[in-house]
Formats: sequence, structure tokens, C-alpha cells
Amino acid sequence: MVDFFENLKNKIVETQVWKSIFRHGFPDTDTNRALVMFSNVLLHLHPVKVRKSALRIRYTWCLGGLTFFMFILLTITGVFLMFYYVPDTRSAYQNIKDLQYALYFGNLMRNLHRWGAHAMVFLVWLHMTRVFLTGSYKPPREFNWIVGVLLLVLTLLLSWTGYLLPWDQLALWAVTVGSKMAEASPLIGYSGPFGKEMGMRVDNDIRFMLLGGTVVGQSTLLRFYVLHCVGLPLLATLFLAVHFWRIRKDGFSGPL
Amino acid sequence: MAIEVKHEIFPKNPKKSYGLVELVKGTSPITDKEPETTVFTWPNLVFIELIAILLSSIILIALSLYSGAPLEEMASPDTTPNPMKAPWYFLGLQELLVFFDPWLAGVVLPGLIIVGLILVPYIDVNPKGVGQYNYTDRKFAIWTFSFGLALWYIMIVVGVYLRGLDWQWYWPWDDWELHKPPSAVSLIDYSLILTSWGLSKGGAQIVAYATVVGYFVVGMTIPFIFFRKFYKELGFARYNITMLFFLMMMGVPVKIILRIVFNIKYLLVTPFFKI
Amino acid sequence: MSNEEKNKTNKSGEMNRRKFFNLIGWGGLLASAGGSAIGTYKFMFPTVLYEPPTIFKIGKVTDFSMGVDERLKKERQIWVVRNERGLYVLVAICRHLGCTPNWFPDQQRFRCPCHGSIYDIFGNVRGGPAPRTLWRAGVSLDVVDNQVVVNFLTRQDPDPESTVNGLMVEEAPREAEPYFIKNA
Repeated sequence: MVDFFENLKNKIVETQVWKSIFRHGFPDTDTNRALVMFSNVLLHLHPVKVRKSALRIRYTWCLGGLTFFMFILLTITGVFLMFYYVPDTRSAYQNIKDLQYALYFGNLMRNLHRWGAHAMVFLVWLHMTRVFLTGSYKPPREFNWIVGVLLLVLTLLLSWTGYLLPWDQLALWAVTVGSKMAEASPLIGYSGPFGKEMGMRVDNDIRFMLLGGTVVGQSTLLRFYVLHCVGLPLLATLFLAVHFWRIRKDGFSGPL
Repeated sequence: MAIEVKHEIFPKNPKKSYGLVELVKGTSPITDKEPETTVFTWPNLVFIELIAILLSSIILIALSLYSGAPLEEMASPDTTPNPMKAPWYFLGLQELLVFFDPWLAGVVLPGLIIVGLILVPYIDVNPKGVGQYNYTDRKFAIWTFSFGLALWYIMIVVGVYLRGLDWQWYWPWDDWELHKPPSAVSLIDYSLILTSWGLSKGGAQIVAYATVVGYFVVGMTIPFIFFRKFYKELGFARYNITMLFFLMMMGVPVKIILRIVFNIKYLLVTPFFKI
Repeated sequence: MSNEEKNKTNKSGEMNRRKFFNLIGWGGLLASAGGSAIGTYKFMFPTVLYEPPTIFKIGKVTDFSMGVDERLKKERQIWVVRNERGLYVLVAICRHLGCTPNWFPDQQRFRCPCHGSIYDIFGNVRGGPAPRTLWRAGVSLDVVDNQVVVNFLTRQDPDPESTVNGLMVEEAPREAEPYFIKNA
């Protein structure tokens, strides 16, 4: 019986189809361990070899990697949630209720998305703290620190645009308050310092652009939906790519 | 004759130079790395990542099964819930809004935090402490960062656990259903306190300006005079940027304390903005 | 002109030509990029709004009783206030962070549930973190049917003065057109 499966496995591995997909054997030899890393597009984020010191859990606490994992998890659960959600002020709240009470595993999907988002924010902060405490922003990694700060801002913006979507009281008032802050921006906000001197009105300032109107309403919901599901994730992906690329180029910080 | 030919596999060429090479058994072709400090990513790193992903997934799924994501009543523009709390990660910001005007707390201070963070690698010239948890060689950097971080987390804790109806201060043992009366003393401006001490209106304004400007001037000067080494290490431009951000960060708790202890609403009133 | 000099001028002439085209090329590229940026920026400002009207009639002056009228708060986000001298309209948006304050007739105060800002009947700040007084919307009388027309987007926003009682604005200058309808 064991022989049968062994033969079957060997047969499959020998086929042209298998060989066209996997260009390496099982990674239990040095050659294959190297090959698996640079012939697999998903794994080639990693270098073939890493310094032993970079692997210590109590040095990195896996924080950056877990943040990235949360991003992937949120992308996947977010895509699933999109199947049942319409960004319409009349139906959005009902859609969330359907997810919670009617759909199979709808509540689990929504909970995963919400708690995953909270976890991502927290992990980003912890990751930044770790990077600061280990001095990993120092030359030659200054630029990657900047990219990291921008990713932190993007994470917070994603959270902010995200919790408008259920169209509950928190959504409405948090965005009312948030957009009121935008209105108070110096120069570009209607009620901010020098705003009126710059010719800002209720219907042409930064808040108006953000909300797509003078009140938090249908156009705001659509705007935030597009930003949350398309605009900001694309931007975040771009910055993540740069972030990882710089880690590969500048090397992993750590004691020699 | 034939035997001699057999021995000469590589006839020696007088035009070439030869070196002695040895073949050894090993795990990698890397040279000049003694002793070997690297290991293969597969399986050493990949499996750590896999375990981390599995553990975090288990925690997250358990949390999602155990506790539902919050959903409040449907949005209605004519009733504001009381108190209206943002998710915890924005509550630090919301707490700042109690002590500063919206343009400052909502726009300028967060902007300064972001710009300040971006500037960190360019104003910290200390080359020590890369890749290790090192406190002794970077006392100033660690203290400053930790102070800012602590401020942020304290504000979050206050916002989450100590703010109740009408955004009043509620201890955990207070009755959170009961409205607290608005504070008996009203908030007044710093310049009004000065006029109550007998200063003229214009004089009070001048003193108010002098206080704010003086805070920065004195703050910039003290390290310049007493910590010459600190100044010399940073240089003129870096020193000024570092100290400006440092003083602005310190200004936040200073203003909060002034508000709580002396009920001061604004320190400085200009025709355009108030601080 | 010697041959050498001729070569030199030709060469620098060539360089000028190159510089010229460089300028045209980069200038054109930057100009079109800038133009696209401005266009995209303008694109984000909607010109058609599907919102409640911002200019609307609310009835005749005599339809409102003395003091604060709350009937239009839900529908139009305004309070209509009448006194002996005339009528003005307060915008029901807290100047701190945009929550909707509540009117307490017994205390004669508007109080915001979000951060505890307190306003009096004139919109002056009597407590809490609000930085400005309540907005007053533009009002006028329709010449045909004599109804009050409110312009929600035209807002009176004077710079208040700090006093021991709060942020105050002198009332007399506020009660002028187009933010006030005097009794006939």
C-alpha cells in the first residue's frame, strides 16, 4: 500500500504538468531549499538564507509579518463581505444585519474583518515600537522607516473609512466628527485658521471634497466605500511592496 | 611510450599560472564567512511564519466566535449618542479634542506626530544600538519615544475607561447612567487671569505672547547652554528641529495640566487662531 | 573668424538648441501632468448634490412663537428663534465637532451631548470646549408670499471675545441683514 502511494507520487512528480509548475524537488536538500525560495513567486519575498540572529522570536516578535498577515486576511474577508454589501444608505445597515443574523457564517466573516482590523492597528503600533527600540530605522534603513510611517497612516485611514460602511450611529457620528476636523484644517478648511481668508466656503473646502457634499450622506458612503475597498488597499499594497523590497535590499537589522 | 602519455592528462603550459584548489564537503558555497551565521530560509524562517500565522488565526477565530463585532443603532442625524466614542485607536485623538481646538487637535497635532516620526531617522545621528535592544547608548531617544507613546496610550485608556456621559470624567465605581453636573468653574483665558491681577488688556496680551514664545526660547536655550555635547553632536539644524518637536510634544501635557489645574481655556488668543 | 571659433559657436549653438528642446519637452510634460492633477482634483468636487435643499422656505414670521422653536430641527437642522426685535435662525450643528445639541427650555441653554459644550439662546458659548458661537443662517423675506427664506450655506460667524462668562459676541451688530428679520 505504501509502495502504491510512493509510486503514485513519483509518477505525478515525473509528469510534464507537475514539472512545468514546480521547478524544484522537495526542499530537503540545500539545492532544493535554495530553489524553492527563488523559483516560487510567493516565497521569493524571502532571501534564500537568513541570519540566525534575525530568527530570534524575542527580537522581532513576528510583528511585521503578522501585520502583513492581517492585511491579507482583511483583503480576503473584505472581498467576501463585498458580495453582500451595497453602499446605499437605505440598505447598508440591513445588509450588515443580514450578515449578522441570516447568512451562513456571515457573522463570523464580519467579526473576523472587524477584529482583524483592530489587531492590524495594534500590531502596526507594536511593530513600530519594536523597530524604534532596536534602532532599525538608522542608516541605511531611514527610507523604509518613512514608508512604514506612511503605512501606519494608511492603516488608520483604512480603519476610519471602514467603520462608516455599516451606517450605524458610530459610523455617522465618527465620520461627522472626523470630517469636522478636516473642516478645521488651516487654509483648506472652512472653519480653520485662515480658511475664510483663502475663500473657503461650506461647499468648496476640504470637508466638501471628502464627503462629496455638505452633509454626511449617500455620496459620503459611496466615497468611503470606494476608498476603503479599492483606493487605499491599492496604495497600501504599493507601499507594502516598497517596504518589503527595501528590507531585502537593506538587509535585516540585527546583531551580527 | 604509451604509459608516459597516460600520465600527462594536463600538459603543463608555461604561459599559465597555477593555484592549488581543494574540494571540501559543506552546505553552502559562501566564502569569507567565518563562522557561518546564516541558515536556510526553508525551513527555518518559513516554519516560524507558518506557526505565527496559525496561532494568530486561532486567536482571531476564537475571538470572532466568542465576541461579536459592535453594531449600533441605524444612523440618524438628529440624535447624537451620548457619549459618542470612536473606536479605541482614535480615542487618544478624541481626548485631545477636549483640551485643544479642532484645528490643533484634529489636524495640526496628528500632522506633527506623523512628520515628527518621519524625521526620526534624520535627526537621530547616534550610530549605536542598531539591531539590538539597547538602552544605555540611546537614553534620550528611548525616553523621548517612550514618553510620546505613553502619552498616547494614557489618553486612549482615559478615553476608553474614564469618559462617560457628556464626555465627563467617570471613575469605574461611579454611576455611569447618571449625568454629572457641568463643572462649577467655567474655563477662562490666560489673558483674563492676567487682567484680573491688574494688568491692562494690552499688557495681558503681551504677557500671553511672551509666555508662549518664552516657553520655546527657554526650552531651546537650556540644552544649548547646559548640554553642549548634545548640541555639538546634533549640529545647528538638527538641534533646532529636534528641540522644536520635543518642546511641542512636551507642550501637550503642559497645556492639559494648565486646563485641569487652572481652568485655562486658551493660552494665546490671536485674531486667526487660539491655542 | 577662425575655424576654431566657428566650431565653438556652432557647438554652443547646438547646445542651445538642445537646451531649448529640453525645456519644451520637460515643460510640456510637467504642464500636462499639472493640468491632469488639477483636473482630477476638480473632478472630486461634485457639482450636483442630492441633498436636502440649502435654500428653503419655513413659513411666515408669525408662524413662530417667541423663543426657540424646535420644530424644524429634525427636518432642516435649524432652530428658529424669535424675540421682541425680530427673528433669526440658528444652525443646529455644534461648533466643536458637529454633533447635534439639545435645547433645555428650563435652563435656557443649548447643550451638546458629545463634549458638553453649552450655548445660550444667542448662540454664545457659555461653557465646554466649543471654539466659536453657533452659526446663524442667512434669512430673508420672500417678496411674493412673505415667507421666511433660509439660506443654510450663508452663515454668520463672528469672532467671539473671551470673557469670564464664556465666548461672547455683542448682540446688536448681529441682528442685521441678511441674518435677521426685523419686526415690521
